[in-house]
Amino acid sequence: MAPPAKAITSPVPDAWYPTLAVFMLAIGLVLTASFFIYEATSSKRNRSLAKELTTGGGFGSLFLLLSAGVYV
Amino acid sequence: MEAPIRAREALGFILFSLLFSICRSSSLNHLLISNAERRIDLSSHIVKVYLTLKVENAGSTPTSEVLLSFPPTQADHLATVEALVTKGKRKKTTLVRLDVKATELPDAPNDAKYFTIYLANPLKSGESTTIEVLYLLTHSQEPFPAEIAQSESQLVYYRDSALILSPYHIKQQTTFIKTPSTKVESFTRVEPSNRAGTEIKYGPYEDHPPYSFSPILIHFENNSPFAVVEELVREVEISHWGNLQVTEQYTLVHAGARHKGVFSRVDYQSRPTLNGASSLRYLLARLPPRVHSVYYRDEIGNISSSHLRTDSRKSELEIEPRYPLFGGWKATFVIGYGLPLQDFLFETSDDRRYLNFTFGCPLLETVVDKLTVKVVLPEGSKDPSAVVPFPVEQHLETKYSYLDVVGRTVVVMEKKNLVPAHNSHFQVYYTFKPIFMLAEPLMLASAFFLFFVACVAYLHIDLSIRK
Repeated sequence: MAPPAKAITSPVPDAWYPTLAVFMLAIGLVLTASFFIYEATSSKRNRSLAKELTTGGGFGSLFLLLSAGVYV
Repeated sequence: MEAPIRAREALGFILFSLLFSICRSSSLNHLLISNAERRIDLSSHIVKVYLTLKVENAGSTPTSEVLLSFPPTQADHLATVEALVTKGKRKKTTLVRLDVKATELPDAPNDAKYFTIYLANPLKSGESTTIEVLYLLTHSQEPFPAEIAQSESQLVYYRDSALILSPYHIKQQTTFIKTPSTKVESFTRVEPSNRAGTEIKYGPYEDHPPYSFSPILIHFENNSPFAVVEELVREVEISHWGNLQVTEQYTLVHAGARHKGVFSRVDYQSRPTLNGASSLRYLLARLPPRVHSVYYRDEIGNISSSHLRTDSRKSELEIEPRYPLFGGWKATFVIGYGLPLQDFLFETSDDRRYLNFTFGCPLLETVVDKLTVKVVLPEGSKDPSAVVPFPVEQHLETKYSYLDVVGRTVVVMEKKNLVPAHNSHFQVYYTFKPIFMLAEPLMLASAFFLFFVACVAYLHIDLSIRK
């Protein structure tokens, strides 16, 4: 038989999924809120702010899906 | 009933020995079976036959192939054929499995089918070796009467031969048949034969030429559950985030004597041993340990009559269909469960990943007529290949699941006529670059990004008609 092969696990430990989901979604929500406040108050738009908050929202929603059991 | 059978079997006997002497195959090396003992176990609807052959090389050349032959009706229902040879002395015997392959021989008398056992060491002239063969037959017990009422017991026919069909001369042979209960309506007498309790003994018979055949018919009671899964589709979805999701769709049928008349629930529940003795009440499925999120549902919805017992080495799911299954009744349901990825997915030294999973139905003591196993590989996997211990039909498909752009490759394997002995492991190899895992969160992030860009654009666009 082949030599004992290394078992593959997820790059992020399973037990951290709910905690990571909560933290990243919180950061994403804060950044989304500040984006909309910025939109509503000033007339000039800042592109880099949009990029920052998308990554926060994206990873947060991914960990939310994983912790809910939808293994994408 | 017995006299015509004896005349018929004598005629068959003469015919076969004549046929053999006319068309003698030169590829048969001069092997001789000095002692053959066959034990047929009829306790469940899967017939288990244990054959112990003491093969002697009476020729001058060493051989490493031993032929086994089966009548064509039995060969169609053969699920597995295994051959073992014991090695070592009294205290330290080990069983070595030998390769068995189906072979075709040009001048087979009466369409007999052959299997060749390849010995590990060639058998020299004058030497003898003991080979143990195990073969399993499905759909070989025919219910007779074909229709029974609820309160009747199920009786079946089993057809076989008192003499072991073999291309070699057999010096001495005995057959023991074990019935599930002591109720045996009739059995063909081929002297010397007798019956003691649940065991019928045919033999010992001395010095029979090759291809001798003596048909026998045993009519006995068999109330063990005749659970047959007509079609099973097993889908194993691999997610590199740490989970293996298995979904199994069953079409279960009771393959025993068909039910006639009414079904009385009162009688069934008040006296279960007299009423519906052969009905299917419970099914036990053996699942791997550390299983989670197990569900059991059908088209109506969830079926709550199930129990899950887990321990560190296995999990047992005991399910009860919505109604007890009588002869000819069907039930369709879906069982699904999740498993941790690290128990089943491994990485080889040359950077290929492989899934090590069981092929076969987790239900105990059931025959599967047609099984389809689909392994859904994550998006971005390349070069899939499957390694299965027995021949299966393979092809590839594509499936679109969560967050998929190009689709996931699915390796589909199909096999017919399986028994629980087929629950061995198979492997599916593929290559995957870990950087592709980042595609999913980036896809979600880009969805949010597009939403914000849309907001910015909306706030920029001036839709007023009048300036």
